[in-house]
Amino acid sequence: MSNVLIEPKHPQAEDTSPVSSSFASRFMSRSGISLKPAYYQLILASFPEIGFFEIHAENYLSKGGPARHYLDLIRQHYPITVHGVGLSIGGEHSIDQQHLERVSQLVNEVQPQIFSEHLAWSSHDNSFLNDLLPVAYDEVTLRRVCEHIDHIQSHAKRQVLIENPSTYFEFNRSKMSETDFLTEMVKRTGCGLLLDINNVEVSCFNHGHDPYQYLNNFPVSAVKQMHLAGHTTDQNTVVPLKIDSHDEPVSQDVWSLYQHTLSLTGDCPTLIERDGNLPAIEELLAEARFADKIRQTVSQEIIREHAI
Amino acid sequence: MNTQFKAALLTEDTRFYEEIKAPSMEEQEIRLDVYRNNITVSLVEALCDIFPVTQTLVGDDFFRAMARIYVLNNPPSSPIIREYGQNFSDFVRNFEPAQSLPYLPDLAALEHAMLTLTHSEEYETLDHQVVSEAFSSVENPSILSLCVPPTTQILVSPFAIGSLYQAHFSDGHKRLNQVDITKNEYLLLVKSHLYAQLHVINKEEAIFVKNLMQEKTLENAIPESDSFDLGETLAKLIEWKILTNITQIQTK
Repeated sequence: MSNVLIEPKHPQAEDTSPVSSSFASRFMSRSGISLKPAYYQLILASFPEIGFFEIHAENYLSKGGPARHYLDLIRQHYPITVHGVGLSIGGEHSIDQQHLERVSQLVNEVQPQIFSEHLAWSSHDNSFLNDLLPVAYDEVTLRRVCEHIDHIQSHAKRQVLIENPSTYFEFNRSKMSETDFLTEMVKRTGCGLLLDINNVEVSCFNHGHDPYQYLNNFPVSAVKQMHLAGHTTDQNTVVPLKIDSHDEPVSQDVWSLYQHTLSLTGDCPTLIERDGNLPAIEELLAEARFADKIRQTVSQEIIREHAI
Repeated sequence: MNTQFKAALLTEDTRFYEEIKAPSMEEQEIRLDVYRNNITVSLVEALCDIFPVTQTLVGDDFFRAMARIYVLNNPPSSPIIREYGQNFSDFVRNFEPAQSLPYLPDLAALEHAMLTLTHSEEYETLDHQVVSEAFSSVENPSILSLCVPPTTQILVSPFAIGSLYQAHFSDGHKRLNQVDITKNEYLLLVKSHLYAQLHVINKEEAIFVKNLMQEKTLENAIPESDSFDLGETLAKLIEWKILTNITQIQTK
């Protein structure tokens, strides 16, 4: 269905300068954290050891002001990943071209290791609802989502990673599983996947699915980045629900799932994602180091298994 | 389908419920409520960040209740949330429970203008030395033309909203209740380095800056007033880092 030539499938821009290649290996080997304005000064004063920083594209689209200023300073020292939250890939209307152009320009300027978006919608009829809303898993939606991904990838001239969503209900009209939908989406568009382990935990819990089974069905070969985050529990007394809140440390069940996932995918760049209730940066750095430790352990296990 | 989904998120419309897999309408509602809550809470929170002085003045509970009504009737039109609240001041003006604070809409408009200015383009400004060199290099400084950033704004308010705004951000040096709100004020909004700056100025200074914005020469920019002190005003403009260029107009 794709009318865009993807041959080879959106290779990342080849840049072999010493800085960019050292950034690439740093990004691959060490975990990162979310970049928040509260941390700007501290980062530039103490240069903490961390693999990379991830920004939300929509917070860095101004012509001036502090956000772009500090980003431009910080990105001289650290690899960056750009995570979009506003392109509304699951939306029923075509992609907002003006917004796509602004995001593409940012991506071009920042040259991030990864550019990612969500399998979700947020805009409809000129309203932006500021949440990642779910889509039905059927052929009509799949076709639309793939068209939007094709459009974004051909416009940005690079591969985009799509993140699996956290959801609070399933659609009666869905005809396939989320993992089947993602598998087909990757096959049709050549996009990569951002596997958010917390979203797996949250969604599976909310729909009574086994997260380990979900991961076993996940198209892991397309995964190029992972997200780890904290969640909270909804207070209603009727149906237990986990809420993807990004305002708590990564929970134990998510760390366990993460370890299992790495055994399926092999080593993978990982982000500690935190958006609210921000702690001292040291707490996030410690979580990133913990992720690194799990990555090393799993990598060694994989090597040992292959040696046997 | 998303038209109905959106309606269900912002109103009591239940047409979308049949799409939601759940054994009862009660459970469908609880599951949908997570999204309703995410939207209203995150957007009310965004308005708190954009209008902190307005929030302080009316109190947290009042502000959030007011913001919630605004959010449900005026969802953002852009994914760039810092741009949200463009017409919030108009909403406040027509919001019945806020009528006892007639200055509130102007204050909200000022807060939005300041945030927008902070995110606007930066312009290089001249330091003190460059300015004095420019003045000493000509015999007759009145032919000089002083440039200010194109993002500069002069506002006139029937209320002392500038002093109110400054008091909020003054780390306790000034108190909100020490401001005589009934006094009218001339405000200069200007971008200095990364952030918008607010200066309360007098009427003559406002006329002077307005003339500079219209690219008038110094001679033509000076207001007809005995109380206007050019030296003092220039010193302020230099200190506030508002001059971007000084050019000499060739006169015949």
